[in-house]
Amino acid sequence: MDRVNSSAGRVFVHIVLVIFAVYSLAPFFWTTLQSFKTFKDAFSRVPIFIFQPTWKNYQEVWIRSLPEAGSSVGYFILMAAVIITCLMLFARYIPVKSTWIYIGGLIGYGLLLWAIPQLVYMQKYYKYFINTIIVTVFTILTSISIGCLAGYALARYAGMAAVVILIAALAFRALPRLAFVLPYFWIGSLTNLLDTHILVIIALVAVNQPFTIWMLRSFFMDVPKDLEESAMVDGANRLTSFLHVIVPVAWPGIISTALFTLLLAYNEFLLVRVLTQTNWTLPVAISRYTGAEDPAQLTLAAAASVSATIPIIVVILFFQKHLVKGLSAGAVKG
Amino acid sequence: MKRNTFFAFASPSILVMLLLMVVPLLMALWLAMQYMTFRNITAPEFVGLRNYIEILDDPLFWRSFNFTALYIAIVVPSWVVIGFIIALFLDQVSGLVRGVYLSIFLLPFIIVPVIGTIMFKQLWEPSGLLTWIYQQLTGARFRVNETSVKTLIIIFGIWYVTPFTIVVYFAGLQTLPAEMIEAASIDGASRLQKIRHIVIPYVSSLTVFILLFSIMDSYRVFDSVFVLSELNPQFKADTVMTYTFLTAMQFQRLGKSNAMAILTVIGIMVVLVPFLYLMYKEQIAER
Repeated sequence: MDRVNSSAGRVFVHIVLVIFAVYSLAPFFWTTLQSFKTFKDAFSRVPIFIFQPTWKNYQEVWIRSLPEAGSSVGYFILMAAVIITCLMLFARYIPVKSTWIYIGGLIGYGLLLWAIPQLVYMQKYYKYFINTIIVTVFTILTSISIGCLAGYALARYAGMAAVVILIAALAFRALPRLAFVLPYFWIGSLTNLLDTHILVIIALVAVNQPFTIWMLRSFFMDVPKDLEESAMVDGANRLTSFLHVIVPVAWPGIISTALFTLLLAYNEFLLVRVLTQTNWTLPVAISRYTGAEDPAQLTLAAAASVSATIPIIVVILFFQKHLVKGLSAGAVKG
Repeated sequence: MKRNTFFAFASPSILVMLLLMVVPLLMALWLAMQYMTFRNITAPEFVGLRNYIEILDDPLFWRSFNFTALYIAIVVPSWVVIGFIIALFLDQVSGLVRGVYLSIFLLPFIIVPVIGTIMFKQLWEPSGLLTWIYQQLTGARFRVNETSVKTLIIIFGIWYVTPFTIVVYFAGLQTLPAEMIEAASIDGASRLQKIRHIVIPYVSSLTVFILLFSIMDSYRVFDSVFVLSELNPQFKADTVMTYTFLTAMQFQRLGKSNAMAILTVIGIMVVLVPFLYLMYKEQIAER
């Protein structure tokens, strides 16, 4: 559309957009405020905007008891996290192959997550956080590796079988999770797999597979066919040419899909709620805070929600480009 | 690509979908014909279609069905209308400003739905910000009852999916040819006329896409309703999905809840089949 040129019109445009931004942000804003309030401030009938902020809610959500040398352990953990993050952010400028730094950094994070409960006596909530990470990581790895193979095949094969699979996948995508979850629950209770990570991961890979192959297919369609053809003339077989030629070219698309898989796995509520009894992930763990009648949980629920949202916001900031790309690819291509 | 290579590459994914989606669906059909609770999970009792008959006689099921219908009827048009209007406004700004607005607007859609719901609920707690504003505006206290919980569920439904329609319409507006608008401007068309006669017809295929997807998605909405209806535990603000869940996990009627899930699948199929047919034709045309 052509632009509004009058200054009154420009002001109006921005007023509407700002109002919508306030509407979008209001719950985040209020919950963050509540999470820093003391019990008394949070329950005031008249909303309080200026108050003495406290970390107590966050501490209560995450930490059961502080060690003797409380602050120095805290600083040590914080420093280690900051150093690893900086190394990964500036990997480009370090004269070692970037891939190794990323792998080292991820191992470093892993070690840190393992070390924290050894140093500090953590709440159960930390265990749910670790569960979420395990489930998310394994879901992404499985789902993307088998999805890439299928997505590529669907992008290149012109036969009827591909059409049938694509349409069937679309149908599965639209069906309610509950129709699949209840049989999983039944199998789980027969095989004693209920409450294990494996069952949750398998279920998540399965219900997200239709979405994954559609999205990956659309990215593999954009890779020119000549690429693998020339590689195959040079004597490489399909699989080697796929791994060495196609995957590097389609890598940004694969990252986009991985990002959406991450969001879907991290966000999943119903599946985890039905298939686990104690090995919850964060969304289920948080919903338990609000189910209770105890009003004291209000600020804790706020702190728990904010802390569970921060990792997602960090990931989004890192991969914002991929997110918008994925959303508009899904949108324009249907 | 040859047929054999295709199946070699696609087989892991096909196997996953066959074993973990087709087989469970068939299982659900079988489970729906059993009387099964947590106690006789290994030895269910075959009851034929009695579960379905029981559901059709269940007033709570019909109440949840009516609320689901109301939810779809209000939420889906709101997504389309608000999403389109905001996309038009967003199209008026550019560069960094646009990026900032877009990131903010996307936030409700990106975060964990359950957490979004809990954050939204915080606004309506007795000490919440909107509770207070509501009291100032109406002079009445905000009470949790059937109507207010239903209203909150609907408002939340609008809040957290509108970003998706904004992005879809926004991406569509970027491809609108400038010549079409210029030609209309030369003819002296006003802005509203241009929107009415050029933009809306231009994005109509996107509207169809959004309508189909959002009807199916709002049919199976679960997380937010589950969290918000806890405010009102008398099963009055349930949708079909949460009622199915309660039937399974709380009333422990696994067979009956499977039958409900099957009914939902049939309900979604009504919308889905025309859509699948469209996609099928598109796929054939592509080849």
